[in-house]
Amino acid sequence: MQKDRVTHFTLILFFLALIFVDAASLFTMQLLQNQTPTIFDVVTQPPSQQNLRRFENDLEDSSWLVQQLRPFVQSVRFSMLNDLGKKAVRGLDGWLFYDLDVRYLTERIDKSDAAEEEVVHSILSFRRRLSERGIQLLLVPAPGKPTIYPEELTRRATGMKAPINPWTRKIISRLESEGIQCIDLFTLFTSQKNDPQASLNPTYLIQDTHWSTHGMILAASSVASRLIDLGWTSRGTTDYIQKSISMSRLGDVLKMSKVPGIESVFKPEIVKAAQILHAADRKPYADDPASDILVLGDSFLRIYERDEPGSAGFVSHLACCLKKPLASIINDGGASTLVRQELYRKPDLLKGKKVVIWEFVERDLRFGTEGWQDIPLPEDPAKL
Amino acid sequence: MVFTSHIFLFYFLPFVLLFYYLLPKGRNLFLLVVSYIFYGWEEPWFVLLMFLATLVNFICGLFISRPGATHTERHIALVSSIIASLSLLGFFKYFVFMQNNLNSLLSLFGQEAFPVFLVSLPIGISFYTFQSLSYTIDLYRGDARPVSSFTDFACYVALFPQLIAGPIVRYSTIADQLIQREHRIDAFSSGVVLFILGFSKKILLANPMGEIADPVFAAQSPTTLDAWFGVVAYAFQIYFDFSAYSDMAIGLGRMFGFEFLQNFNAPYLADSMTDFWRRWHISLSTFLRDYLYIPLGGNRKGNLRTYFNLAIVMLLGGLWHGASWVFVVWGAYHGIWLAFERWRGKESIYHSLPHCLRILLTFIVVLISWVLFRSTDLLQAGLYLKSMAGMNGSSGGSVLLSAELYNPAHLLPFMASMILSFQPVQAFELAKSLSWWKLVLVSTLFVISVLSLIVQTFNPFLYYQF
Repeated sequence: MQKDRVTHFTLILFFLALIFVDAASLFTMQLLQNQTPTIFDVVTQPPSQQNLRRFENDLEDSSWLVQQLRPFVQSVRFSMLNDLGKKAVRGLDGWLFYDLDVRYLTERIDKSDAAEEEVVHSILSFRRRLSERGIQLLLVPAPGKPTIYPEELTRRATGMKAPINPWTRKIISRLESEGIQCIDLFTLFTSQKNDPQASLNPTYLIQDTHWSTHGMILAASSVASRLIDLGWTSRGTTDYIQKSISMSRLGDVLKMSKVPGIESVFKPEIVKAAQILHAADRKPYADDPASDILVLGDSFLRIYERDEPGSAGFVSHLACCLKKPLASIINDGGASTLVRQELYRKPDLLKGKKVVIWEFVERDLRFGTEGWQDIPLPEDPAKL
Repeated sequence: MVFTSHIFLFYFLPFVLLFYYLLPKGRNLFLLVVSYIFYGWEEPWFVLLMFLATLVNFICGLFISRPGATHTERHIALVSSIIASLSLLGFFKYFVFMQNNLNSLLSLFGQEAFPVFLVSLPIGISFYTFQSLSYTIDLYRGDARPVSSFTDFACYVALFPQLIAGPIVRYSTIADQLIQREHRIDAFSSGVVLFILGFSKKILLANPMGEIADPVFAAQSPTTLDAWFGVVAYAFQIYFDFSAYSDMAIGLGRMFGFEFLQNFNAPYLADSMTDFWRRWHISLSTFLRDYLYIPLGGNRKGNLRTYFNLAIVMLLGGLWHGASWVFVVWGAYHGIWLAFERWRGKESIYHSLPHCLRILLTFIVVLISWVLFRSTDLLQAGLYLKSMAGMNGSSGGSVLLSAELYNPAHLLPFMASMILSFQPVQAFELAKSLSWWKLVLVSTLFVISVLSLIVQTFNPFLYYQF
């Protein structure tokens, strides 16, 4: 009987210690640091749904226990289960994919889904508003990595033709039938992959969501050719030169996993980039807000351009092809709506523009941050 | 608030336990207040709704139990309680469904649809409505004594351990415990064991199974293998999710001195559908039996009427789960199986087969019903069943599903779920006694589960939507 009581007591004490430890540790540490304990926030604000959610999130974010243990648990899950977290999908031979890119391809899109109308309406409306100011629009939908390399995700997809998601094709066809000019990177990248000579140089990074420098340069050249063919712009007179740079890059899919020490397991990729420099002074390429071309887009524009090595991304290479500097607005993950909201707040950027190039990644058709809102253009500075 | 959330585990529960045991008296009032906080955490104004439902049923109860009340007066009070409770449930749960169906009907006749008036569904409304009703009905039948204090009654309706997703606790089960209950060390530790086992089932099994089932059910047209993998994973998810909630509820109840009845008993070991419903969500099936099936005549009015009663009870049981045609068909499917087995003398069609094959075939029959339960509409359910039968032809991106599904983080809990689903030892039984090996086992499980919780994204219980 006595032995039973000891067992009961031991379990209860262990249980109580574990459920009390988090609140006790946070409370003590905040008092020691002369901070008001977060727990008191619950009585200092009205109990609205919003305030309660914020309070709950604050408690979890400031939890000492969570902060200390999360990296450890992530490490253990990775070493025992090969788990890179919810945002990463492991492919074959070291290829990594972003979960949303994969979901965009696998998930069913209901026929009644209003998303298609929202996307088409938003783009047509943007084109109409630009046309009213005499500005042309060129769309550059960037394929998701699994669309081009499905066989690197699973062997089942070997021989599968891209693009897999018919929804992307349907939306692009609808837009093209409305007279919108679109760059077809799907066909371009797929033909590159199928070309035996070019196939050794993938158009996407192995550990990253984004295109490789090879894919990016192909896209920039394709856009430049189309602009010239359409007669929407002409080549300028600025001379640029290219400087080869080799760098090691840890893919964003690995960074998103937040597994401590992941770089010791996955060796960073060696990336060969070409930095664009002004021929005259050898200074790296820089945007010119007064350019007649404005480029809008997401992290596909940011990569190599605004992060390492800089001035070696899509915008710089497009400028190099067109021999003139460009203006750009880049918003990571926000090409569907946020980038146009940013444009709305910068009326001067549309001054003197003849062309807007709008890049967005394929998955944003469905998962775009803030959806596809109809955003007005800023007031025409000339009319102010 | 969710049992497996950071705020519940590390703040709400420890502080409620602490103050509950520090209070010399007024513990029911304290439990009522914290239960309202627990319930109102997601949407504060829903507390008012629950309070209103509680008040109406309490007043009806007073009329039913009033000394000298005539049969007619008692009858009117009972009918008022039923109408008020079901109207509340009907409005919040079925009004949008009815409007959508009316619009569909209008469009069939070429009429213009009217704008749908949207109503948010208060969580747990199906559970607390049934619990409140059990009080007035039991009172009317003379199966329960009237409650003397409104606080006690409100505490019974709102009691946070079982408030949102059951088990459905009848008033008569805990009437005496509301007035006086024992707080024993062994009962508390047994509650801790049940809570930890439920917590572990949810975190270590149900959530990973949801990570398999969700993408498969969201897929355009999964392959036959993926479709089966997805629905089996869903069967494990719903079982471990719902039974986990029941285990935690019963465990929490014991920590506060209450004793609730067992809600699950190895349902996937059932060898017929009749057997399945003796083991699955026992509190709902017995509630429907006592408050619907028997009042409809049960099996006392001939065979045909018995089959009809079974079918109608299950159909309404299906509708209780949610305002959607998939739940109606799900209920009808179960009703038809039960009626069929009743016609065969409570034996399944495969009764002559060996026991293990009967279990397997029953599991497959249940799996088909889970397809209905999980699908967003009947069309999707039909397509999914075609995929399972290999008649849908996997297409497009669904081929890529395998990359998301078949990895160690999914396969390991899948195997564990399979083993645990098809063995007879239940958490409820395990918690009856405590030995050193059990102590080590549950302590280890708790540490692993808490660590896993830290990296898991928010994942509420499936039955919260009902």
